[in-house]
Amino acid sequence: MSVENPTISPEEPTMSANEPTMSPDAQPTEMLEPSRSQPSKTTQPAPSAGASARASLRDGLAVKLEKLRAFYGDAEQVKGIDLDFHANEVTAIIGPSGCGKSTMVRCINRMHEEVPGARTEGKVLLDDFDVYDSSVDVVAVRRAIGMVFQKPNPFPTMSVFDNVAAGLRLASRGRGDLHGKVETALRGAGLWEEVKDRLSEPGAGLSGGQQQRLCIARSLAVEPEVILMDEPCSALDPIATLKIEELIDQLKAKVTIVIVTHNMQQAARVADRTAFMLGGELVEVGPTQQIFTNPHDSRTEEYVTGKFG
Amino acid sequence: MSTPAQTFERFSVSPSRRRKDRIARGAVVAATVVALIPLVLIVYYLLSKGLGSWSPSFFTTDPTGNTFFAASSIGGIKSAILGTIEIVAIASVLAVPLGLGVAVWLVEYGRSSRFAHTVRFFVDVLTGVPSIMFGLFIYIALIVGTGTSYAAYKGAFALALLMLPVVTRSAEVVLLLVPGSLRESALALGAPRWKVIFRIVLPTALPGLLTGVLLAIARAAGETAPLLFTAGVTMKTEFKLNGFMNSLPIQIYTDVTSPTTAVVNRAWGAALTLVVMILLLNLFARLLARRSSLG
Amino acid sequence: MSSEVNAGQAVPLTAQQGRQHFQQQLQELETRALGGLDVVIEQLDRTLEALAHQDVELAQMVIADDDRVDGRYLEVHQGILSLLATQAPVAGDLRLVAALLHVIVHVERMGDQCVNIAKLIPLSGYEPPVRPEVLELILKMGAYARSEIVQCKAAFSGRDVGLAEDLARQDREINRLNREIFRTALEIGDDPDTREWAMHMILVARALERIGDNAVDVGEQVAFVVTGLFREFSDQTNPLGN
Repeated sequence: MSVENPTISPEEPTMSANEPTMSPDAQPTEMLEPSRSQPSKTTQPAPSAGASARASLRDGLAVKLEKLRAFYGDAEQVKGIDLDFHANEVTAIIGPSGCGKSTMVRCINRMHEEVPGARTEGKVLLDDFDVYDSSVDVVAVRRAIGMVFQKPNPFPTMSVFDNVAAGLRLASRGRGDLHGKVETALRGAGLWEEVKDRLSEPGAGLSGGQQQRLCIARSLAVEPEVILMDEPCSALDPIATLKIEELIDQLKAKVTIVIVTHNMQQAARVADRTAFMLGGELVEVGPTQQIFTNPHDSRTEEYVTGKFG
Repeated sequence: MSTPAQTFERFSVSPSRRRKDRIARGAVVAATVVALIPLVLIVYYLLSKGLGSWSPSFFTTDPTGNTFFAASSIGGIKSAILGTIEIVAIASVLAVPLGLGVAVWLVEYGRSSRFAHTVRFFVDVLTGVPSIMFGLFIYIALIVGTGTSYAAYKGAFALALLMLPVVTRSAEVVLLLVPGSLRESALALGAPRWKVIFRIVLPTALPGLLTGVLLAIARAAGETAPLLFTAGVTMKTEFKLNGFMNSLPIQIYTDVTSPTTAVVNRAWGAALTLVVMILLLNLFARLLARRSSLG
Repeated sequence: MSSEVNAGQAVPLTAQQGRQHFQQQLQELETRALGGLDVVIEQLDRTLEALAHQDVELAQMVIADDDRVDGRYLEVHQGILSLLATQAPVAGDLRLVAALLHVIVHVERMGDQCVNIAKLIPLSGYEPPVRPEVLELILKMGAYARSEIVQCKAAFSGRDVGLAEDLARQDREINRLNREIFRTALEIGDDPDTREWAMHMILVARALERIGDNAVDVGEQVAFVVTGLFREFSDQTNPLGN
């Protein structure tokens, strides 16, 4: 993560006092300011997005899991995982039902501990900073790591605009150019053109695919460094699915993406790297094309060719 | 290969099935009709007997307590209306926030802990307690125990105790209906817990919560027994909370047994008034809810 | 993997038995593709016999029967496309399908080489000036080529990389015989008819050498299916050896 010459674009609002508390070792200011020192990425954002769109979404961070274990009470669901998620790449997690992939991903943004009786051991390093450190504010972690769920769930009492702004308002960042930020987020999610005249209509009135993109926009508005997606397309029709996959491909220029999926073809289409989990353990991880043409582990081969699972 | 006749037999409804269908339908319709009859009768009686007493003076004059003289001198129900509004309003102000608070704690924090189970159990028990018990409790605690007399605020306390478990129970049900996925997405956006509750969960549950609160208010507004030993019986319009206060159920209770027909009719008028007040409250709150859910 | 499905009964999917229908289709496709090698062997046998006895009618049959090889090619090719479209094979299955595509192309080429040989036979007329030393070498080459085809088929169906690599050794023999035939034919010399026949024999030898190369290529596909890496077997041999 190159942070030598952070440039602040003129549109970037000043940071409020409500920023994540971190250990002194990390460098808070560099991490939060948009780093433009990396050359422009290969994929461009949606054609209608201007330079301001790119500027206000930060670059992604690398995530590293170290000996991560997750428990529901006494039952160990994730059994000691060491895994790297490269910055600005899409990593897919595949595996049969119950193998612990969703649980593992929920440990990354500390949602796992919201379940009564659940606990975690091990470290989740966000660019060398452990989010499980005792001094860390959970809320701040979740602002840096966004999440999109399987079933699109826009807030039912809110309009499209309010839905996208919800994250900012809940984080007490609802001042400043709210309208601009909402537009940027909607553009980033590829939804602006479709809803720009319907911003005050209820969010729940959109189609399934649009709702999911609305949820993505809602996550984007808070400007996270990482976005976790838990089977984001399983409730959608094929065309909506493809739109979201295209979106993922554009988004990775700005954020690191981790996607849990049951659909291996989707993992193959969308991911740079793929990790295969079985029974709570990491079996194999590698470049997607290698996992799907010549996996090293025989269990990976069997799962990927459909011989079990 | 089956013949057309055999196919027809396979797919057509047998006569015995048809008969059973009809019997079941008839039974259900009959039950509905039977249930509707008393409801219709109540409305009919209310309207036919109550409307007659309504007049401008009915609402603007206090009952005079004169029951043996001419009908025109018996007075109206002004103090009863004002008393009900005052007592029920205070009771609501006490019971609704507390009840909602308990419900929020049960759903968001306590969940399935041992203590939460205990709380739930007691709330359930309290909803079944006869209303007179609440009146008696306040009577013992605040009137006999302190040696003071009846007071409007003590009546409000009794009603609040009555409303509390009702509000809690219905609010809990409604809050449980809010999908967990909403809370999850709000948490995942980086919202502190309390904000998730106040900005997301409660607004989503608002229509249902409102309905539950209204039901509790309606129930409280119609209770006679608790007020008998706490707020007492009086005729004059009072505003101070320290003394006796009239209320509609008390008014109806005292009037209905009177030998004077006009007074009995006044009871019907008061009953109709009470029903209409609740109805108006209902409509008003629904309007509010609709406005806020689209806001 | 059982290749029979109990007709009419629902087969519950257990571990190791997922996608039975797909596995069955894949197995059948492999059988058809490798069966093409058997057809080529038949063609080669007949071609060599026609050569040995200057049997022009037999040569015509070989030419006509190339339709069988072409038909087999089209069938397997279509099967591969179908499988790719409908089953989206990955990993080992994908490598197998890709390899089968190569195999069937080599099968078709080997068939064409047999036809090339067969076409040369009538050109020498019914009573050509046969030189036994040359003919012997040719038939020996033919035997090697035949054994290479048999071996590459065995290597593929058994996924035997060692057996596949051994093909390179046999191919060196063929190449050596090819060079010997070339030298011998050059020195045949005397009359134009003999020289013409000898030229034809050089072409025959070249066609047989090509058949050998195609068999080695099939062997390389075996290594690809098993290891996921593609490498040329001739790299192992003396780079000047060919």
